[in-house]
Amino acid sequence: MFKDVDILTKGLNASWKRNEVISNNIANVNTPNYKKMEVKFEELLKNQLNNKVLKGANTNERHIPIGNNRDLNYKVSTNKDYSTRRDGNNVDIDIEMADMAKNDIYYRTLSTQLNNKVQRIKLVISEGKR
Amino acid sequence: MGIFNAINISATGLSAERLRMDVISKNIANANTTRTANGGPYRRQVVTFATSDNKTPFSKFLNDATKKNVKLKGVEVTGIIDDKTPLKQVYDPGHPDANEEGYVLMPNVDTITEMTNMITATRAYEANVTAMNTIKSMAMKALEIGR
Repeated sequence: MFKDVDILTKGLNASWKRNEVISNNIANVNTPNYKKMEVKFEELLKNQLNNKVLKGANTNERHIPIGNNRDLNYKVSTNKDYSTRRDGNNVDIDIEMADMAKNDIYYRTLSTQLNNKVQRIKLVISEGKR
Repeated sequence: MGIFNAINISATGLSAERLRMDVISKNIANANTTRTANGGPYRRQVVTFATSDNKTPFSKFLNDATKKNVKLKGVEVTGIIDDKTPLKQVYDPGHPDANEEGYVLMPNVDTITEMTNMITATRAYEANVTAMNTIKSMAMKALEIGR
């Protein structure tokens, strides 16, 4: 029942972390030799949904599951691209602001979805009571 | 995952840019100061920034290895350093601080440089404010879940 809620929660977590990372990039926009950081989540989720991840077969109930949904998580990485600036900083403020706006909408979408899910579950519980 | 860590990160950016703004104002205010407490004319000051990182090597390597719970801490000011560029020499025999040949040592403050730096600082400050507002609206949205 809560599988979708779990996935949405992971997405919200990733989005919040991305927000933190973008804030960090913006705070360091004038720091010499700073390299921007990124959060990867959507493509990991896509790989997970398309079964493009290595999955271990569980032939025995005592096997440790490999590559199940619980492993789905975001990754924070540093972008070491060359800089077009003289101070070695590769933060592009336009890209960061655009990413921040995108991330805001993404977060709102996910939380609305999650809200709808919870409302539906609530409805089922309250209607079944009658 | 702290809720307020993102706000704290933007706050470090705000206070760093504000300090830079203060120092730029000080430079402009002292553009013609020929007498300072240390003797001699005023020297232009520069604020240096560095990423506020995890200081202990272990936690840094652990963070790099796990790539997940990277604890971000924003930016920090490492110091306010005197600019070492040579002072300007201006011929002004009537000046009280002029030497025997009539030259006065003036501060190495270039007003145009200061003004451009000021614009950079303002814009960076505004970007941090925008970031903080976005974080706030996202956090408020999160409060609506399950209501």
